[in-house]
Amino acid sequence: MGDFFTLSVLVATAASAIRLATPYLLASLGETIGQRSGVLNLGVDGVMLLSAFFSYWTVLETGNLWLAVLVGLVTGLAVGVLYGVITVRLSATQGISGIGIFIFGLGLSDLLFRRQVGTPKPVRRLPNVDIPVLSDIPYLGEALFQRNLLTYLAFLLVPATALLLSRTTFGLNIRSVGENPQAADSLGVSVERTRFIAILMGNSMAGLAGAALVLQLGIFQPNLTQGLGFIAVALVYFGAWRPVGVMGGALLYGLVNATVLQWKALGIIPVSGSDLANMAPAVLTILALIVLARRVHAPAALTRPFTRH
Amino acid sequence: MGSDENILEMRGITKVFPGVVANDNVDLDVRYGEVHTLLGENGAGKSTLVKILFGLYKADEGSILLRGQPIAVGSPSEAIASRIGMIHQHFMLVPTLTVAENVALGMTSSRRPFTDLDAVSRRVSEISEEHGLAVDPSVEVRRLAVGERQRVEIIKALYRDAELLVLDEPTAVLTPGEVDDLFVILRRMADAGRGLIFISHKLREVMSLSDRITVLRNGRVVGGTTPAQTSREELAQMMVGRTVRLTPEKPVLDDGPALLSVENLTVHGDRETVAVDDISFDVRSGEIFGIAGVSGNGQRELAEAIAGLRGVEPGSSIRLDGVDATGDDTRARRDRGLGFIPEERMRDGAIAEFTVSENLVLVDYGSDEFTSRGMLAFGAIGQHSRRLVDEFAVKTPGIDTPTSSLSGGNIQKVILARELSASPTVLLACQPTRGVDIGAAEYIHTRLIEQRSIGTATILISEDLDEVLGLADRIAVMYEGEIVAIVPAEEATRDKVGLLMAGVVDPAPQTNS
Amino acid sequence: MKKQWKLIPSVLVMLGALALVGAACGDDAPATGSGEGGALRVAIVAPSASDDLAFSQSMVDSVNALERDVELSVTDGTFIVEDAAAAIRGYAEDGNDVVIAHGTQFGGSLMEIAPDFPDVTFVWGTASDTQGLDNVFAYAPAADEGGYVNGSIAASLSESGVIGVVGPIEAGDAVAYINGFEAGAIAGGASEVNITYTGSFGDVALAAEAAEAHLANKVDVLTGTAQMVVGAVGVAADAGVPWFGTQANQTSLAPDLVVASQVYHWEVVLEEMLTLRDSGVLGGQAFEINLANGGLVIEFNDAFELPAGVRDAADAMIEGITNGTVNTGS
Repeated sequence: MGDFFTLSVLVATAASAIRLATPYLLASLGETIGQRSGVLNLGVDGVMLLSAFFSYWTVLETGNLWLAVLVGLVTGLAVGVLYGVITVRLSATQGISGIGIFIFGLGLSDLLFRRQVGTPKPVRRLPNVDIPVLSDIPYLGEALFQRNLLTYLAFLLVPATALLLSRTTFGLNIRSVGENPQAADSLGVSVERTRFIAILMGNSMAGLAGAALVLQLGIFQPNLTQGLGFIAVALVYFGAWRPVGVMGGALLYGLVNATVLQWKALGIIPVSGSDLANMAPAVLTILALIVLARRVHAPAALTRPFTRH
Repeated sequence: MGSDENILEMRGITKVFPGVVANDNVDLDVRYGEVHTLLGENGAGKSTLVKILFGLYKADEGSILLRGQPIAVGSPSEAIASRIGMIHQHFMLVPTLTVAENVALGMTSSRRPFTDLDAVSRRVSEISEEHGLAVDPSVEVRRLAVGERQRVEIIKALYRDAELLVLDEPTAVLTPGEVDDLFVILRRMADAGRGLIFISHKLREVMSLSDRITVLRNGRVVGGTTPAQTSREELAQMMVGRTVRLTPEKPVLDDGPALLSVENLTVHGDRETVAVDDISFDVRSGEIFGIAGVSGNGQRELAEAIAGLRGVEPGSSIRLDGVDATGDDTRARRDRGLGFIPEERMRDGAIAEFTVSENLVLVDYGSDEFTSRGMLAFGAIGQHSRRLVDEFAVKTPGIDTPTSSLSGGNIQKVILARELSASPTVLLACQPTRGVDIGAAEYIHTRLIEQRSIGTATILISEDLDEVLGLADRIAVMYEGEIVAIVPAEEATRDKVGLLMAGVVDPAPQTNS
Repeated sequence: MKKQWKLIPSVLVMLGALALVGAACGDDAPATGSGEGGALRVAIVAPSASDDLAFSQSMVDSVNALERDVELSVTDGTFIVEDAAAAIRGYAEDGNDVVIAHGTQFGGSLMEIAPDFPDVTFVWGTASDTQGLDNVFAYAPAADEGGYVNGSIAASLSESGVIGVVGPIEAGDAVAYINGFEAGAIAGGASEVNITYTGSFGDVALAAEAAEAHLANKVDVLTGTAQMVVGAVGVAADAGVPWFGTQANQTSLAPDLVVASQVYHWEVVLEEMLTLRDSGVLGGQAFEINLANGGLVIEFNDAFELPAGVRDAADAMIEGITNGTVNTGS
């Protein structure tokens, strides 16, 4: 146990937690926006798989990381248009539509990978970028300010999303259509338009999440996400639909995973206890949800399509 | 009183929904400075007409002139831009947002893309003061009482500088005192030159507030009048199309034995809080025991506890005809003679997808009369159903019609028929005429009085004060889970009961005149 | 009007499912040029992608390497056992001669299916016995042997003496390889072998972070097993740390830093099984691939320059294991 509390190991654990948290955070923030507008998207994992594949393929073909990030975002946006048409314009049931998007993304990314790439080939990974001055802080600088740009972006999006929701006119529209769309409609706020834009924002961020995942790893393989997108949806509940709460959830999830790995590497968790330790993140999430559940208030119109009657 | 100039003229409005003509060539004009009432039964077309005005529906035919200019309102935002305001029947408020946020919703901000809640709050405070609409702009709406929410709705319209204001049944959820306050505010707004359209089916309110009245029936205008030229009875006749007796006549009866005794009853609500707090009362044979109160003061929980749908706390006792029934389930209570007309008739009273006939035997289908050797006896069920449909004048195409396709009044008659055909000794009637047309309400009242005459002990729980005052022999007023007073009918006045409903237990010291 | 659009989600699910099936059947092609007529019909059901540079690929490559007329069908990515069971039964019903259930976890299903098709040979691994069924052959790698060799080379490359291992779940050939590796490394002079089982065969991100955790703890040589290690190899490559592969040749993942890979050549035992089948024995025996029978091969990456003498020592050790003079400790 003593080995764990050395500064270099703690720094490595923190860095690992932040890396692991980045895709979760991007996806969960996006999902938060969507859910606050009353739209549940269970297809996040599918969006991430598609955007991860297209990002990966872009780097593989062009070597351009930033083009790959853009491609990831645009992929998310495109799936967002599809999801918006299905759930907002056509008022289809959100739960099953999201599962549809997931299966679609899982299948299509798998197929495209087999056809276009085949055997996993490593590509460039996102480089770490030192933030001047801050990165020179001993230990803390190394843990927090020597990360990649998508990580910085993810954490900057936390206050940005909070500000969007709580302080902007559009955020007010999002919150109102998620709570009482009839009221918003009666005041001339277009429920359809607001939800559609919220979906596009959310899916674009899921697209970025896919790009972040694959570009941090530098490799793709079928079903790369392993259900990450579903955890991201759960983190929105965990974070009580607030960006800061969602960030707390993503960091906690990353930290528990990173600590478990670190403890395994150090032998603090013996091989025989490995299986038990693997359940830690899930158990922790469930415990937190049980504790939080009573105080949490979901958007009242979540999953309910809007019709004017 | 209004000026002679019209702010609004609606001409020849026709709107057809599949199978229903909701508005049939309707004309309506509203003057500056007047309260113009649209009166009619549920489904008469009042809401459709104003929804067309507000851009929520599109008229099939007809034209709208606003301030003399023809306009086409395509959406609520266009209506708002034309300075038309609407207070909807159900509050159009977002409970989790603050008052200021609710007011700012849909408005362009001066600090785009950010909201400017400080400026909105200041303006809300100004409007509050100017119109006597006290409300704190920084409070979340879910923390406000019903009357305060109503004020927020009015502030929303005033904030948008509405000159023509539509109020769609704004008093449905208010206490009599709150209604009086609201009317003062509305009158003041009209006096300031605005045009108000007031939608209601409550005749007393219509008579007290209106300058002019337009009556709709089945989508058509059937007449226009003023309170000075008419009476409640005449208005009811115009609404229904025939003579209606508004105040039922009750024969005088001797006191009978107590058939229902409730002692020290304490019941928890859905959120584990005490909803009914240690109350006791008896209901005697041949008596209608009214329970008045504003919705949410424990009436629903009380009814569910008596019906056996909700558990009671230790120490509580419910006796039916002298026998302890506290531990009985619903079936056992029915077998002891309890009949139950629930508040949520489509949730607890009938199964929408079932036929009229199936709902009529929903309680007794297992009896020897309707089941033989484990099979439903359709012949007997059909006979029984046809007899009840005739006796209770249920308007239905047939006994095999799905119940959901009947009107609210007729569904209530089906439930009433089922419950009364079991010859209950104790009848628990919750909101028996809410949302029911006047004709059906009149019929239901007559049947309740008939039950009284044959010795049934009836508990009538209603938010309609006129109904309780008209029917009950004694009136218990519930406030925050307690019975604050039980008033004999001869001593019960609207004012007295109204104050009790607001929790004012000892109104004597107040000098009102 | 909107009713008809309720079908949209179902259509999406169908499309996705079709794409999945399309991807899974993508390798459905005859293995040899003359796949018709007298060709032996062989089917593989594998839990991960058939080109995963690991477990599943090793079997597909092996069948393709058979010197026989084989018509091969593959269903891969069946990480859900029920899906695999359906595929196994389907191939048997379709008249395949040999159905390879490439995954320890498929054993339970196989026990139910095999008795229904007495004329079909089922090949199941990795497993060390046939559960008493006479139309099932079992196969397993002596993965500890290559692990031992890899471990001893790793020890000679490590300066810190601390070596890291990234494993999936503590089961099957992963355990054998990792235990062999640990024994070889310790015997070769390493002071510590840190083993992490991530708990997942598929979670690439977790494998990558497991490797990062090792690097934070003085590890300067890494190895790992199962298909999720592609993430860990990337971490090793970026850190300039040598990597040892197993199951398939992983040199392409880090051409400069993969030292050697233990490659599974199942064709050695497959050939034996098919010969037995030709002579009327449809199953009932268990096989092992090892260094001695050529089923396990240590493939070195020539681009990685080993210090003088290390390669020779490794070759001598392989020789020793082959003739039984070196004990891998298992």
